[in-house]
Amino acid sequence: MRVAMLHCGGATAIGFLGRAGDACLLGTLILAEPEHFSGTEITLLLLAMLASAGLFLQRLWPILQTIHHAQPEQDFHLRPLGRRTAAFVWEVLLQGKVIRQRPLPGLAHAFVFWGFLAFALVSLNHVATGLRLGFLPPQSWAGRFYFDFAAVWALLVAVSIVGLFVRRFFVRPIWLGEHLSYESGVIAGLIFLLMVSYLGAFAVAPGGSAVKLLWWSHTAALLVFLPLIPHTKHLHLVLSPLTVFLKRDSFAQIPRLHGDEDFGLVAGKDVTQLIALQTYSCVECGRCTEHCPAATTGKVLNPKEVVLGLRSYLNTVGPASEVPLLAEARPDTAYAPTLSMEAVFGCTTCGSCEFQCPVGIQHVPVIVGLRRGAVNTGTWEDDYGTKLFLALEKHGNALGLSAAERDKFVTKQGFPIFDGTQEYCLWLGCMGGYDPKGREIIADFARVMHFLGTSFGVLKKERCTGDPARRLGNDLLFGTLADSGLKSLEAAKVQKIVAICPHCVRTIAEDWREYGIAPQIEHHSEFMARHRDRLPQQQGQSIVYHDPCYLGRYREQYDAPRQVVQQAGALVEAPRHRERSFCCGAGGGLAFLGEEHGERVSHVRAQELVATGADVVGTACPFCNTMFRDALHETERQPQLLDIAQLTARALPSQPPGGEP
Amino acid sequence: MKIVVAVKQVPERDAAIRVGADGRWIEEEDLSYTINEPDAYALEEALQLKEKHGGEVVVVGAGPERVTSTLREALAKGADRAIHVEAVDLGERDTLGVAQVLADAIAAEAPDLVLTGLQSDDLGLGQTGVVMAELLGLPHATIIMQVEVTASGLRVKQELEDGWFQHVEMPLPALLTMQSGGNKLRYATLMGIKKAKAKELKTETAAAAAASPSARLERVYLPQRQKHTEMLTGSPAEVAAKLVQILKNDVRVL
Repeated sequence: MRVAMLHCGGATAIGFLGRAGDACLLGTLILAEPEHFSGTEITLLLLAMLASAGLFLQRLWPILQTIHHAQPEQDFHLRPLGRRTAAFVWEVLLQGKVIRQRPLPGLAHAFVFWGFLAFALVSLNHVATGLRLGFLPPQSWAGRFYFDFAAVWALLVAVSIVGLFVRRFFVRPIWLGEHLSYESGVIAGLIFLLMVSYLGAFAVAPGGSAVKLLWWSHTAALLVFLPLIPHTKHLHLVLSPLTVFLKRDSFAQIPRLHGDEDFGLVAGKDVTQLIALQTYSCVECGRCTEHCPAATTGKVLNPKEVVLGLRSYLNTVGPASEVPLLAEARPDTAYAPTLSMEAVFGCTTCGSCEFQCPVGIQHVPVIVGLRRGAVNTGTWEDDYGTKLFLALEKHGNALGLSAAERDKFVTKQGFPIFDGTQEYCLWLGCMGGYDPKGREIIADFARVMHFLGTSFGVLKKERCTGDPARRLGNDLLFGTLADSGLKSLEAAKVQKIVAICPHCVRTIAEDWREYGIAPQIEHHSEFMARHRDRLPQQQGQSIVYHDPCYLGRYREQYDAPRQVVQQAGALVEAPRHRERSFCCGAGGGLAFLGEEHGERVSHVRAQELVATGADVVGTACPFCNTMFRDALHETERQPQLLDIAQLTARALPSQPPGGEP
Repeated sequence: MKIVVAVKQVPERDAAIRVGADGRWIEEEDLSYTINEPDAYALEEALQLKEKHGGEVVVVGAGPERVTSTLREALAKGADRAIHVEAVDLGERDTLGVAQVLADAIAAEAPDLVLTGLQSDDLGLGQTGVVMAELLGLPHATIIMQVEVTASGLRVKQELEDGWFQHVEMPLPALLTMQSGGNKLRYATLMGIKKAKAKELKTETAAAAAASPSARLERVYLPQRQKHTEMLTGSPAEVAAKLVQILKNDVRVL
């Protein structure tokens, strides 16, 4: 048996081992383990283990303390567990998000991750062997099976880590950061050493000095690796499975404020446990920044740096501090643009960062939270922002026009006032009620409803849902608007609402919940998709559909608007579409703030849409529409720009069957 | 520096105004009210002076109970205290009567500076400020854009006609009536509203009107929109001459 194993272990190609013994005939390679450990060796091992664990805890413990001492999470519920478990299985165990959004490096990462899982038992047995406590003898049936199984993974991990090393140090995608992370190189080297020293043990004779050498190098790599985890971004190994499991309920959810002293994220004391956990989980992969419309068009905002800025604040200042978080409010320190008002007010709240994040960081509540801290305390001073807030306070619409303008439009269109007899309340929104192009969309959607014979009415008085105030962090104004909106819908006894603006839909359906339950609301794309069988099928034109952030990532409506578009022509997809759609630049209240620095987000997107060669740019949000209306003046080609309601209405007979209802 | 700001509550600018049945005032039901715009600028100036030089800002407003909402907003924006002079008959008092009610409350505060808007958005008489100054025995300046505190008192920027301004030095205490647009207004904040809850809002009852009003509103009516087209005939020279006359004398743009 010894001879057979020696032969077997000494050669790597199974084909040559035909006569070497049963084990080899079965094609089994057997892991070689050192046969004896002296007392000195055991003492040395124990001391090394103690040192490694000590260094590991020396850094991990304060981090856990910081998270623990952060503001307790107020509205947190562990239930329903189903959603959390599903996210855990898909995002952590199956590495679904990691692979799907960056397939090649994602797969390499997944192999390393799965390899690590497979290695848990191997490592445990490895160290135990050194203490003469080995529990999985390599010759046993289970040992042979498991070590061979792990060897396959070791091979995959080794290849993957080399690939990832080459990517980081030679391909150097900018999203990984301007500076090379040498710690990542060290970690990659350690992982490679772990795998090679494991695989090598299949190729040497047991009992020899080579086995000992391999065993000790494997052990050394393990014990050096452990303390490096909490000292580097590899802390995500420990924290991110928890972070993914504990994420806040819904996408880009803005939490309630609690008590009289809570104005959002003003200082360290406002950072919650969940936010602290998320910042320490960041693996610095830069996916958030890669997809950020602000960061990729030359703005100061860099979502990864916001998270890292918070982490550095927690490390240096601590979680219970009164020291302001934003650079402008911290005259004591050198200006740090990464965590500043300038940065956070450059966010369109498109949610790409949050959607992309593989470790469960929820950027939007953090960025909006920092804005809340600045706006709710009056620290944010911006001429456009103030003008917007005063317009919403005074006129109840974001465009700052007299409410009488809406009345005139409603009268001119002959829209009935909702009186409880109609099926739907048609929510006009600021764009639909006041903006010339928004009005065209509303008028066309009303034609579609007439054609379908669906009864509707509009509210006599309607104020903004508060979306721009909400995203800019003005809780007083948002609360006033949400409250008045809920009251007017209740007074009119509205049961069902339909709106052309995804921002209105999101705000009424989700954000108003803080103030009461609004009637059921849907976006006109959902309404038209449901009735698409009765809408005329058009031929000919190719239409590139742009997913609005607030309909796509925020509401997960990707198919409904596409069904409407397909009814109106041939659907063309932009390079970035569905979950990866690129923002138009208007969200987060930015449509109302001043001129952008750097490239305009809308221009970048418009060019991308035009480059598809489509005849028509199809939109499903009046804000996207207005952004592209301007941007399309500067593109090489000017395709038509139409909302999905207009795409549908253009094929309708000028007079609906049976006349006006 | 102790600053008192006298504010008036007026109907929202874009409110649909309906004339009351008696034709002497407007229907007040369903109207939403807000702070008179020039008064908002007076408040802003007071808050900025306080931020620069310290002191206290007290807002004073007269009228029925609804006025307290405007006073609360002023507290939320940063005023330290508010005084509500309760009176339901202000509409029946003349400017002197209204100014008297406010001056009584202000005199008790003995402020260093009194600020108010130059006129109101609803009646636009432009007198309350200057009459108050007279009643309080204070020097005053009107249509002020900017206020600077100097060693001897104030240096103010006053708006004249045709885009001209003049700077005036004056002593303290004083009363200024403020023009709109001299500053940037601030937005109301959650923190402001929360703090305002703890601030004092004192209600005083206005003294009964001392004398019958010397002036009263005879009739209010909505402006009549008229389109009037007049064709000028004659030779080009005659038409041009007539046109110049009309532009000079009737339309008064030349």
